[in-house]
Amino acid sequence: MELLRPESAEAASAALGNGSVALAGGTELVPLLRDGIVRAEKLVELRDVVPRGFDGTRIGAGTTLAELEVDPQIPQALREACSLAASPQLRSMSTLGGNLLQATRCWYWRLNFPCYLHGGDVCHAKAGQHREHAIFGSDRCASAHPSDPAAALLALGARLHTTARELPLSELYRLPTDDNRDVTALEPGELILELDVPQPEASVYLKAMERRKWSFALVGVAAARFADGVRLALAGVAPVPWALSSPDALEQATPLPGTAYKVDIARALIRRAVEAVGAPRSA
Amino acid sequence: MNAPARTLELGRVGESVKRVDAIPKVTGEFAYSSDLFAAGMLWGHTVRSPHAHALIEEVDISEAVGMAGVHAVLTHTDVPGAKAYGLEFADQPVLAIERVRYFGEPVAIVAAEHPEQARRAAERIRVAYEPLEPVVDPERATEQEPIHDGRPTAGHGFRDDPRPNVVRSIVIRHGDPDAQGEVTVSGVYELGIQDQAFLGPESGLAVPDGEGGVDVYVATQWLHVDRDQVAPCLGLDPEQVRIHLSGVGGAFGGREDLSMQIHASMLALHTNRPVKMVYNREESFVGHIHRHPAKIWMEHRAKRDGKLVNVRARILLDGGAYASSSAAVTANASAFACGPYAVENALVECACVYTNNPPCGAMRGFGAVQSCFAHEAQMDKLGAELGMDPVELRLRNALAPGDSLPTGQKITGSFPAAEVIRRAAALPIPEPEELPRDALRLPGGSGNTTRGEGVRRGVGFAVGFKNVCYSEGFDDSTAARVRLAASDDGIAAVVHCAAAEVGQGVVNVILQTARTELDLDEVVLGSATTSSVGSAGSASASRMTWMAAGAVQLACRAAKDELERRGGDLEHGETIDVERVYHHRPTTPLDRETGQVTGDGAHVAYICAAMRVVAEVDVELGLTRVVWIGTAQDVGKAVNPQAVYGQIEGGIAQGLGLALMEEIQTQDGLITNASFTDYLIPTTLDMPPVEAQLVEEPEPDAPYGVKGVGEPPTVVSTAAVASALRDATGRQLTRVPVRPDEIVGLP
Repeated sequence: MELLRPESAEAASAALGNGSVALAGGTELVPLLRDGIVRAEKLVELRDVVPRGFDGTRIGAGTTLAELEVDPQIPQALREACSLAASPQLRSMSTLGGNLLQATRCWYWRLNFPCYLHGGDVCHAKAGQHREHAIFGSDRCASAHPSDPAAALLALGARLHTTARELPLSELYRLPTDDNRDVTALEPGELILELDVPQPEASVYLKAMERRKWSFALVGVAAARFADGVRLALAGVAPVPWALSSPDALEQATPLPGTAYKVDIARALIRRAVEAVGAPRSA
Repeated sequence: MNAPARTLELGRVGESVKRVDAIPKVTGEFAYSSDLFAAGMLWGHTVRSPHAHALIEEVDISEAVGMAGVHAVLTHTDVPGAKAYGLEFADQPVLAIERVRYFGEPVAIVAAEHPEQARRAAERIRVAYEPLEPVVDPERATEQEPIHDGRPTAGHGFRDDPRPNVVRSIVIRHGDPDAQGEVTVSGVYELGIQDQAFLGPESGLAVPDGEGGVDVYVATQWLHVDRDQVAPCLGLDPEQVRIHLSGVGGAFGGREDLSMQIHASMLALHTNRPVKMVYNREESFVGHIHRHPAKIWMEHRAKRDGKLVNVRARILLDGGAYASSSAAVTANASAFACGPYAVENALVECACVYTNNPPCGAMRGFGAVQSCFAHEAQMDKLGAELGMDPVELRLRNALAPGDSLPTGQKITGSFPAAEVIRRAAALPIPEPEELPRDALRLPGGSGNTTRGEGVRRGVGFAVGFKNVCYSEGFDDSTAARVRLAASDDGIAAVVHCAAAEVGQGVVNVILQTARTELDLDEVVLGSATTSSVGSAGSASASRMTWMAAGAVQLACRAAKDELERRGGDLEHGETIDVERVYHHRPTTPLDRETGQVTGDGAHVAYICAAMRVVAEVDVELGLTRVVWIGTAQDVGKAVNPQAVYGQIEGGIAQGLGLALMEEIQTQDGLITNASFTDYLIPTTLDMPPVEAQLVEEPEPDAPYGVKGVGEPPTVVSTAAVASALRDATGRQLTRVPVRPDEIVGLP
């Protein structure tokens, strides 16, 4: 395997594809390589080309979760979501951009079952074990997106700057379809460079886990209060981070038999999150 | 490669002494078996089955053998001696022959210069499988095709059970199994598969001795029985295989069975180079046996005053693909099915079956954990039915010396069940904490999920027991050797004992015993190895303190007698070297039809514990916080009290893990969560403070009155935590681990 160290984002973009895979913090990629889920002939090191650090509401995609979780400039929901992701060792390596592209923990996918997400015809989780799986968007694939920061950024209304365009975070994600099994809309070679994260009046991230620390969200709820209202987004409930237009939108959930309890958890957590951020000042 | 001889700060039996391995472990200087290194060594790698059940049509190694750095690629045809091994029954192939029976079963092995070369060569070994339908439902296993030819466990004095795939079945009939009570409660209880989850994965180094034999440095629990399984498979005499204990990173029963010992030895003898093997975490999950998952039906019949009249139980254990120690686990689950209660009538039916699920065997608590979860749930249910205080109900039925177990064995010696119940119940429980509180002091922990909303508090209680030492006529002994020599300051002693230090603190037990017996400060413990001393038996069944203290005591007293015979002093260069073997009192098998004791009795002695748990549950989210645990444990005599407290806390953590989160998930026999990312074990945040009381009622037959301490906390804590969650939620909670989905949605 070869390691490339391009000197510009453009050069990095050009180097990707054809067996070349982007490497940032490596906390996501290395296990996927080891498990044979991602195959790579070349790794393209992004550390020198993707911005790191933050200035006002602009955050470099190469900023580590550990850097974000402690800074008072960063909205509370994002700080909390970063601090609740993985363990300190991983957070000191993992980047925000990489975290947004985190793969599901669905074990059928991880064990390389020929599942829908891998290009197959069926979602094995639906007929099999799916206690950790989706309550939304699970028509074709019932996996759950694991990223805590993605839910926080979605509620905060973050916008992305990539090597190709500017787009709202909500448009980064897509549900897999028959002709495209990706859960992101990034074009080949497109890199996330920076994020604009609006400052809310108040925000919070609440995360229900099976262990009191260091585990993936059963349900994570981010709430951000802006002058025009409270925005909500959920982690661990759909193949992609899931925005809710209102608390009542939860009742549109389509859980599997084994994930119905997640609707109950989400309902209580949403109520608590909304209460925590309070009513908009203008209201 | 030998670990240095070990010394510790001075201490006699009964004194708290810092563990000799404590500082090196917390500072990262302790050498684990994965740190072993030898000049010129090769790295071994195992090719494992991706199927839970399949026929092997062909193994093509041709591409792998010629790869760079590869020195050996071996399959079952290269096993020099016996093709199969096993702790009790040789039903497990060294390398699969014609058929694989579980996910991860070893099929071929590779040795190469670099671990990555070995791994890549392993990828190039082409194994053609014809998948078979796996037997995965233990309830159907006895009606499906047998997964083993013949009946590997038949003819060992067990009850004849002609159904397919039965490892062992036991029926215990005691008194009148039809006796009626005034109140009846029943329930069905389930436990998932728990993993030992030791932090040091399987690893070791095999070094050829140049004369056809091999030295194996390995993290294990029982050196001599490793040797007795390895040597026949290598076609060697036992003396040609020397097993040396290397640094053990936890065991909990999971190192009783062999892992890489034969494989590394085969590769070492084949290449005439040292060969090291280290499993990674995922491989460790498939590379060792687990705790038996169980489904248990129980019915308790009692009088209105709470006195038990009759207990009826049916227990089904899933043994997985190979027998391991399943037969003994079956016996334990049956013998202790009624709990530490006097019951005049009982009918216990227990079966363990072969399936294509992950193999199960020894794990801390060994059958008693499963039964305790069920009988204590039943006692809670009975208490609720009778409107009786749970502690009072348990005291009323507490088993005492002179009473009989359902196997008919009369309790002799120390059995302070009532005392541990009284002491645990008397521990004051903490007052509810005021709100607001830090999220870390609420259910949901760091997830910041509640400020108090939805939180209910519950208090649980449980009692449990099990045996110390092996049973049913399987009477393994322990040898110790003491060598006295003149030193500048008088007499110095070196002790040899093959007891495996698996983190439980047996090194301290040995040295404290020797110092006490010899009344000497200058005592050194040699490395544990098969080459310098006889078998110590296994570091399991809570037996090692008792047995090692017994053996070291005997050897020390013999050495002292000899010293006195020689006038009380040694000349420079003069030595005394004695080895003694300690036996506990003998045990005898159960009657194969009635499950009743024959002869002296099936068990040597018992250890019991009672536990009180305070828990808080956020009933809207199903998240929990164990707030506090108080326990009283019957330990006989604490040799090193500080270490005993450590064992109690560690044992509780493991049982709490099973109660709340630990479970190996399978899909058609495949393990789906073989990592510490997906198989959760408790963190320090999940563990509450523990207040432990030691009940020291000496065991009459044992050295200093010691018993054992490792298992009771694990046996009881799963049941006790579940009891507290029941009290908080009002739900039955009949399955562990208790997951949020079984709690949420409470009215």
